[in-house]
Amino acid sequence: MNPSDHPLVIVVGAGGVGKTTLAAALALNQAQHGDDTLVMTFDPSLRLKDTLGIHEGEESDEVKVADYDDGSLTASLLDARRTFDRLIDRYAPDEEARRRILTNRFYDHLSGSLAGVLEYMASERLFEISQSGRFGRIVLDTPPTRQALDFLGAPERIVGFLESGALRIALKPWFDARGRFRATAKFGIIGRNVESFFDRMVGLELLRDMAEFFQAFAPLFDGFRERALEVQELLRSSDTLFMLVSAPGPQRVADTLFFARRLKEAGYNLGPVVVNRLHPHLGNDSKAGLPTVGSDQDGRRLLQWLAHRDAQGAAHLRDLLGKSHPVVELELRPDEPTDVQALAQLGDQLRKGIEDNLG
Amino acid sequence: MQTENSIFARLTELKLIVVTGKGGVGKSTLTSVLGRLFADAGRQTFLVEVDPRENLHQLLGVPPSGGDIVEVAPRLRVQHIEPRTILDDLVREKLKVDVVASKVLASPVHKHFTEGAPGLKEAAVFGRILRLLRGHTPRGIPTPDVVILDAPATGHGVSWLAAAQLVADVISSGPIGHLAAEVAAFLKDNQQSGVVVITTGEEMPVQETLELIHSMRIRLNQAPELVIANALYPTLPPEIPAEGEDPLFDLWYSRRQINDSELERLDEGWLGPLAELPILPIEPGPALVGRLSRYLKRELETGS
Ligand SMILES: Nc1ncnc2c1ncn2[C@@H]1O[C@H](COP(=O)(O)OP(=O)(O)OP(=O)(O)O)[C@@H](O)[C@H]1O
Ligand SMILES: [Mg+2]
Repeated sequence: MNPSDHPLVIVVGAGGVGKTTLAAALALNQAQHGDDTLVMTFDPSLRLKDTLGIHEGEESDEVKVADYDDGSLTASLLDARRTFDRLIDRYAPDEEARRRILTNRFYDHLSGSLAGVLEYMASERLFEISQSGRFGRIVLDTPPTRQALDFLGAPERIVGFLESGALRIALKPWFDARGRFRATAKFGIIGRNVESFFDRMVGLELLRDMAEFFQAFAPLFDGFRERALEVQELLRSSDTLFMLVSAPGPQRVADTLFFARRLKEAGYNLGPVVVNRLHPHLGNDSKAGLPTVGSDQDGRRLLQWLAHRDAQGAAHLRDLLGKSHPVVELELRPDEPTDVQALAQLGDQLRKGIEDNLG
Repeated sequence: MQTENSIFARLTELKLIVVTGKGGVGKSTLTSVLGRLFADAGRQTFLVEVDPRENLHQLLGVPPSGGDIVEVAPRLRVQHIEPRTILDDLVREKLKVDVVASKVLASPVHKHFTEGAPGLKEAAVFGRILRLLRGHTPRGIPTPDVVILDAPATGHGVSWLAAAQLVADVISSGPIGHLAAEVAAFLKDNQQSGVVVITTGEEMPVQETLELIHSMRIRLNQAPELVIANALYPTLPPEIPAEGEDPLFDLWYSRRQINDSELERLDEGWLGPLAELPILPIEPGPALVGRLSRYLKRELETGS
């Protein structure tokens, strides 16, 4: 349950809840406690990027952020297309196969927008680095998919796709040497129906592109499939712990519970649940029920109302999850924690919150 | 008073409005708010949501309906659309023979194709919306004047908007290709369809809004009709207590400062219409939607 006991921590949650910041804070904290730590992140804010010193399209993948006597923090920014290209470099049997894939029009669309590719690439890269043994601890931020579940399902989806008939059909030579569509008589009735359906639905041109792509890709499939299975195993191993981040407010409790349940059902190791950015109770806040709010312009009253609302949501979540998982509450701060000092503070709060709630 | 060239007047000329923005910024809330305003202005209004949580239903105070069209108020209806179902319907429609259709539907090729093909689901949802606008509604349900789509948050804001074009580029023939091309043309026609971007007054949502506006311009040669900065803390009073005197006020002060500087950044990067809405101490539901629609109406009636 404690991230400090797991070499791999994966930070998940819906978009916009603060995953990236918390991943950075957690990683910095681990580094300060003596681990050589890597934080792999997607999509940080501009100021966080500056703090971590990472920028898109840069030559080096990894940037050393902080070096302590004992322990260090390295950051890396994930770029799906680059990882995908690298994968092809590795598995392509020869230069010709590599070139055919990289120049295929379908690949262009596929690598940029196929659902799950970015997610898959993240876990693939994670695997690679974790195998290298260069870091004592890795903290992985996850991409801003709506329910973040896509991320975890990605390797399985890829394997499913590779094993489905889609591949067999696509790999079948559909076109003769002159690029004409071949009759499909020798395939069974179902195969013929499906094919003629695809022909009618999407036309031959797409099929030609796809067939070309899959043929070029064929030599890579075995390595790819094997790797996807290994990644899946890593994500489910006892070395890996998931930290679930939630926005405050009763509205988000349902989302968080749903996600926690799905994670556990799928066999992942769920650790702390962090309710992030709660409006704090400040001032002489009456504990006797909801403060009445007068004018919409009254910011003090509004903040009291929000503090009350957020506390209710967190309490509800604690009731439902608190026995099985530490529920950690982190308050909304006056400013966004983007510099090293603020991240370190946040990291301390997070560590303390987790330890307190582990009992 | 509503002037001829007010933003509201301009919006009511459109047939399709796509509401987009980062996760949790208030897309569903403002889709409901816009729906209320249009219906009140006499337009037959359809709200469409794709998110399985059916948040629109909740915000409008009607029970989840799993795909049925629900009447919320006079001229205001809401429907949850499941993209997968539309694609399956398309297969059934094209393959008149039932046995063959069910074989295709059961085939892993179909499943993986519809799940994985980039943009296909999005294009299918728009295809369904076009049909609604053309009068293909169930018996007894009027043809909508306007459809508002609550587009789910995705990693890249443009993906909903660019989806149809992407599909049309890859698939150039057959019914899917035709559908995608038709949808792409409709989305490009700024006399008929427009985009409303929602953000909050915080760094990441504003950053993403500016990036979205940029990629809309570069990739689609389009601009949003309106940007709404939602859930802003109240503006500060003229009298400000000294720092440390009142912690509650200090938090209000610093959060509003963030709102102000982010609004300023938005203002520099976005020259079109911008509406500002307050964060209100009301639980999500019809009361919140009602109050926010009064605020938004006031913002939209001043022409700009
Ligand atoms: N102006 C506002 N004042 C008070 N509460 C608001 C306001 N706008 C939105 N909310 C609340 O914020 C929460 C998120 O809003 P909403 O569900 O509309 O966001 P969304 O962008 O649709 O989220 P998602 O990306 O999860 O679909 C809801 O609980 C909603 O009631
Ligand atoms: Mg929503």
